[in-house]
Amino acid sequence: MIGLSTQRAPSPSVVVPHFAFGAISFLVLAVLLLFSGEDMMGHYFNGKILAITHIATLAWATMIIFGSLYQLIPVIMEVALHSEILAKIGFYIFALGILGFVPAFWMGSFGVALLAPATFLLLAISLFTYNVLRTAFNAPKRSIQAIFIINAVFWLLLTAVFGFLITLNFTVPFLSVSHLTFLKIHAHLGLVGWFVMLIIGAAGVLIPMFLLSHQLNENRLRYALYLINAGLLLISLDWYLFQMSFLFIIFSLLIVCGIFLFILFAYEAYKKRARKNLDIGLKHTAVAILVVFLPLLLALFLSLNLNMGSDFISRMAILYGASIMLGFVSSLIFGQTYKTLPFIVWLARYQPYVGKKKTPLPKDLYSEKLLTWQYYSYLLAIVLLFLGILFGAIWVIRAGSMVLLVSAVFYNWNIFKMITHKTQLSDLKTIKR
Amino acid sequence: MVTFPDNSKEFEINEILKEVIDPELGINIVDLGLIYGIKLQEKMIFVDMTLSAPGCPLGDVITNNVREVLSREYPDTDNHVELVWQPTWTPSMVSDAGKEALNLM
Repeated sequence: MIGLSTQRAPSPSVVVPHFAFGAISFLVLAVLLLFSGEDMMGHYFNGKILAITHIATLAWATMIIFGSLYQLIPVIMEVALHSEILAKIGFYIFALGILGFVPAFWMGSFGVALLAPATFLLLAISLFTYNVLRTAFNAPKRSIQAIFIINAVFWLLLTAVFGFLITLNFTVPFLSVSHLTFLKIHAHLGLVGWFVMLIIGAAGVLIPMFLLSHQLNENRLRYALYLINAGLLLISLDWYLFQMSFLFIIFSLLIVCGIFLFILFAYEAYKKRARKNLDIGLKHTAVAILVVFLPLLLALFLSLNLNMGSDFISRMAILYGASIMLGFVSSLIFGQTYKTLPFIVWLARYQPYVGKKKTPLPKDLYSEKLLTWQYYSYLLAIVLLFLGILFGAIWVIRAGSMVLLVSAVFYNWNIFKMITHKTQLSDLKTIKR
Repeated sequence: MVTFPDNSKEFEINEILKEVIDPELGINIVDLGLIYGIKLQEKMIFVDMTLSAPGCPLGDVITNNVREVLSREYPDTDNHVELVWQPTWTPSMVSDAGKEALNLM
């Protein structure tokens, strides 16, 4: 029956460990950034930058997205998750893979020490892909948002395969093209194919749901799907075959136009919203959508392949990646954390008592004050970090990293406050008699 | 938003259902305009209601809450809560009090 989603929701033991691991990873990411200011101004093919990138993409963003998707798929696809056991096994394999992979990069071990955890990561992502695709296969209908998620999962698997091939190539060289070309393809399959597609699919459902927006033009999302898929396929082929031809900018524009259509969809939802007051969870979402203009502009700039000095271009490439991961993706995750985790914990603690006892609301499970401090410190941190990278100012990057660490502490405080929440009930009074 | 004659049983039930709060919005389901109809037939209360979005993750929490409140307040009467999707809920169904809470006025 439509609407009865909590009956299809997975057990909290599937979802919550992903949030706990992800939150701690964000804290570790902020600490590592503090020690990598100089590296942020050099070339991105550097052990420390690669460690930071993978802690941001895998340990933080993908981990939380996996947990959220296990909760959201029943909402978006109106069907229960295919296998909770597979999801739990996948979590441990993925976590073990990350715990081996990130330190290997940080210490500059590019041999078997990297290949072994890469195998774990590929296995965990394959299990996740199988679980989601089997779930989608059982879905009664497929909305455009569900199709985005299916596409995103496909691109994620391809990202993992490319990543695995690169690590294998470090041990047993076999690639006919430069590993840097492969790295660019791997990065974009992940950033655009996985994160952007996934976010459009999930936000396409959640933004209108939380803003109470109706009668939106979903054709924009449909065209966005075609444009982003086509653009991503074409830039990957262009890199592989020609290492960036004169047509590259056109292919990049397809992706930019696709993302712009999603921005228009989100703007329409915002304009037609019934809920005029935005809480901080929704403000975080709005920030993410505003921040995305920065990587879009940088993508076009970098596609022009201008001869402006390798240091400057390297910094712009790092700014491009940082603005996607620390700006767009992280802000959305922060916002959606407060729209997902409180409900998961609240349902686990209070569902049996609803209507029988007086229960708190989901928003009472976290501190609004901590969230406000987290929001403003995060905004300050990304402004400082982005300006620091843009102008190559090391002390501004360090100040930004410091503020980001403060923000990460507030975030973790709230996450663990929610996870460790104890049931608080009081008696209801009969109204009528 | 549906209205019922003052002092009728349906009016009383509608008032009682204001106890049921949408956990995300923090506003009661009556003022949100989610109640489409209340009927009394012998020993049974029938409630037709909707949700603000078809995939609402808290749909069954809200409908169970309605059942619990009715069972508690009318222990000698059975109840049947039906989720309906026509007409589709729109913000125009929100009461003046709900609009004020959503900052729509």
